[in-house]
Amino acid sequence: MATSSPAAPSPADAAQLIYPPNVLANTSLHTVKFLSSCFAGAAAGILGLENLPGFALFLASTLFTAGCIHSINCKGASLGKYLQGGVWELVNPGQDNAFTFVLVWTLFYGIVHVYD
Amino acid sequence: MSTSAVSLYLDPQIRDWVLFPITLVMILVGILRHYVVLLLQSSPKKQPRAAIREQRALARSQILRATASNSPLPPHFYTSISRHLSDAFEAGTYLKDGPPKGDAPSTPPNPITDPAAMDGMMAGMKTQMVMMVPQMVIMGWINFFFQGFVLIKLPFPLTLGFKSMLQRGIETPDMDVRWVSSLSWYFLNFFGLNGLYRLILGSDNSADSSRDMTASPFANAGAASPGQPQDYNKLFKAERDNLQFSEGMYSWVGKDIENKVLSRYGKI
Repeated sequence: MATSSPAAPSPADAAQLIYPPNVLANTSLHTVKFLSSCFAGAAAGILGLENLPGFALFLASTLFTAGCIHSINCKGASLGKYLQGGVWELVNPGQDNAFTFVLVWTLFYGIVHVYD
Repeated sequence: MSTSAVSLYLDPQIRDWVLFPITLVMILVGILRHYVVLLLQSSPKKQPRAAIREQRALARSQILRATASNSPLPPHFYTSISRHLSDAFEAGTYLKDGPPKGDAPSTPPNPITDPAAMDGMMAGMKTQMVMMVPQMVIMGWINFFFQGFVLIKLPFPLTLGFKSMLQRGIETPDMDVRWVSSLSWYFLNFFGLNGLYRLILGSDNSADSSRDMTASPFANAGAASPGQPQDYNKLFKAERDNLQFSEGMYSWVGKDIENKVLSRYGKI
């Protein structure tokens, strides 16, 4: 995960202290979010969840993923040390992953419950 | 009353021959689109050494200024580089056409007549066409072959307004909006596969459909043309003033380092 020195005095100095290759390494966060939304979609489809419980599962899986990353990867430390965007960057699934969830959910729901 | 408790039985062959093929085709066409755009991009035109030198001079001074307040350079390095660049900008030694003659003010090249800017705009428009065409073709293919039957049931409800779009070709006024035709499966795939492309092709891929709708050929042209007509003489003058300002702000990170080290070990 990315690291930057703590206690930056001003915004310009704070920007200077951020190490670019580590920020690029944070794209593993995107991959994790995508995979978790895929599996959440599969789970929702297989379980046969309909409208509101399905979206509730997506929300729960997003929060659970964020919690896991926070405790395991960030070692429970403050997020300013690892992520430039703070809590929102950790939790936000993004538009892409929301649509991916819907796609995979529909796919598995169709395979398991609609077709014989 | 709508019979939402009754469920339709669908032939599993629909699943094998429509559901999976549409998804597979869309994934493959997306990957194909990405590589076609990559092949269509012409390599950047090789610029003469003088032009590169003037761009690099500007970049050098900006890099120097960026860390001026917490600079890793000791004072004699910083001031010597800064003075050298200031004098060079003042005299115009880095300019592409040599020091300015001083008689006529230079005019920036017109973006329409400048061939380099036209290339940029054409390349942008070409990529836009490549993005649009496969989508149209796939939609036509689906409308032609996979029309007139129910494909899948959506797990979430939608309003009646969507019925005309999602159940195109199936003329039943009573059926639940959740039973949809293949075109809606196309739309679901269209939006949902972006994440997969980002995983397979990297984040800078050209198969991303969300980028198609936000960008337009004119946005690309607008971004490409201002890069060309830049008067480097004026930029150098402005940069010289910036360098003087930064020299005032300059402070070495290693200043008083001997006192800091000694006080850390308690010797002072």
